[in-house]
Amino acid sequence: MKTLIKALGAFAILGVIVPFTSAQWPAFATRGVPRTPTGQPDLTAPTPRTMDGKPDLAGIWDNGRNTNIPRGGATGGAGGARGARGADFNTAPSPAASAAANPGPPNATFFNVGAGFSEGLPLQPWAAELVKKRSADNSKDNPDAHCLPMGFMQFHTHSQPRKIIQTRDVILIIYEANSGLRQIFTDGRPLPGKDAEPWWYGYSVGKWEGDTLVVETTGFIDNIWLDVRGNPLTSAGKVTERFRRTNYGNLEIEITIDDPKAYTKPWTVKVNQRAYPDTELIEFICEDRDATHYVGAQ
Amino acid sequence: MRIKAPVALVAGLSVILAATPVLAHHSFAAQFDRNKPATLTGPVTKVEWINPHARFFMDAKDANGKVVSWEIELTSTAGLLRRGWTRNSLKIGETVTVNGSLAKDGSNVANATTVTLSDGKRVFAGSSGGEGNTQ
Repeated sequence: MKTLIKALGAFAILGVIVPFTSAQWPAFATRGVPRTPTGQPDLTAPTPRTMDGKPDLAGIWDNGRNTNIPRGGATGGAGGARGARGADFNTAPSPAASAAANPGPPNATFFNVGAGFSEGLPLQPWAAELVKKRSADNSKDNPDAHCLPMGFMQFHTHSQPRKIIQTRDVILIIYEANSGLRQIFTDGRPLPGKDAEPWWYGYSVGKWEGDTLVVETTGFIDNIWLDVRGNPLTSAGKVTERFRRTNYGNLEIEITIDDPKAYTKPWTVKVNQRAYPDTELIEFICEDRDATHYVGAQ
Repeated sequence: MRIKAPVALVAGLSVILAATPVLAHHSFAAQFDRNKPATLTGPVTKVEWINPHARFFMDAKDANGKVVSWEIELTSTAGLLRRGWTRNSLKIGETVTVNGSLAKDGSNVANATTVTLSDGKRVFAGSSGGEGNTQ
């Protein structure tokens, strides 16, 4: 009954809250997008390929906010109004529900990359204390909140889209949020040695294993936040991402974090993305005009 | 269990807000209290179309009838653009009603979930107070 009342209330609200109807920017259909007879992007069309036969990951990708991408157990059918919208950007389904409806690694969320782990992430004791403190502080020191780059995983899970540009020797990912930019070298070069300059985004090299792009990244700075909660990534961390474009509309990314300094064992999560054609990235220059704006927690 | 209509409406609103994910940049929980609902009505005095959060200022009368200036936080400009807002959507002098959450520290700052325009249209403001921010 309560669910029904909530649902009715939801419809009532939907009836009165309207979007602006003004134009956002000049409408321009993305070229080369497979279309249904009604002109909609055909997300089930085959995976596009580059001239050399590799899967082409190029395009704008969205993790659910704009495209209502199903996220495994998050849309298990009993989600009421939330389920009706499909995506749930902030929360993960219960681990059990997720495992049943969504085989493979659990989904990471923007707020907690470990949300799908029933036992939590395998944090080292010091890291567990750190996460506890960050939560108690309402994440006020989250670098993203101060216009600094987002943590590695935050870029994957953020609700603002990202654009992949793929060439033979390098793949660029432009993240709209905080104007993030990654280079993934696919020209056969090795990862740099231990004395490499540490970077916010690390140093990434990728290679194709069949139709899967496997990207290894090392050389991080020491104080990365993987999510709003503050799960850490340190300079000892190695991240392995496995990108698989299963068809035109869907990109699956499995991410393994191997950081013995912060975690007792490696762990793997998944982020699903959906093609978001007929749009474009929007400039996002973060202006940290007044620090108190962000650290007002008392 | 009997639930009065307004309560149901609020419950429905909370469901919709929860289902309308957010462009959270900072921690909503760090600055705002979702248990302190804000309803403010008055003219817009200034608009700042900036990231990570656009914001505008408005005058609203307090309980004693005194006019007080408020800062209203919206989501990012990209988030607003995708909802159809533009930098000109709010007019200086236009009377609007803001529903949202008050700042924890008691300052005259609120995070908007919806803004009702002078023509009666009620639009989402992309609050960063969606669920999940409460850690």
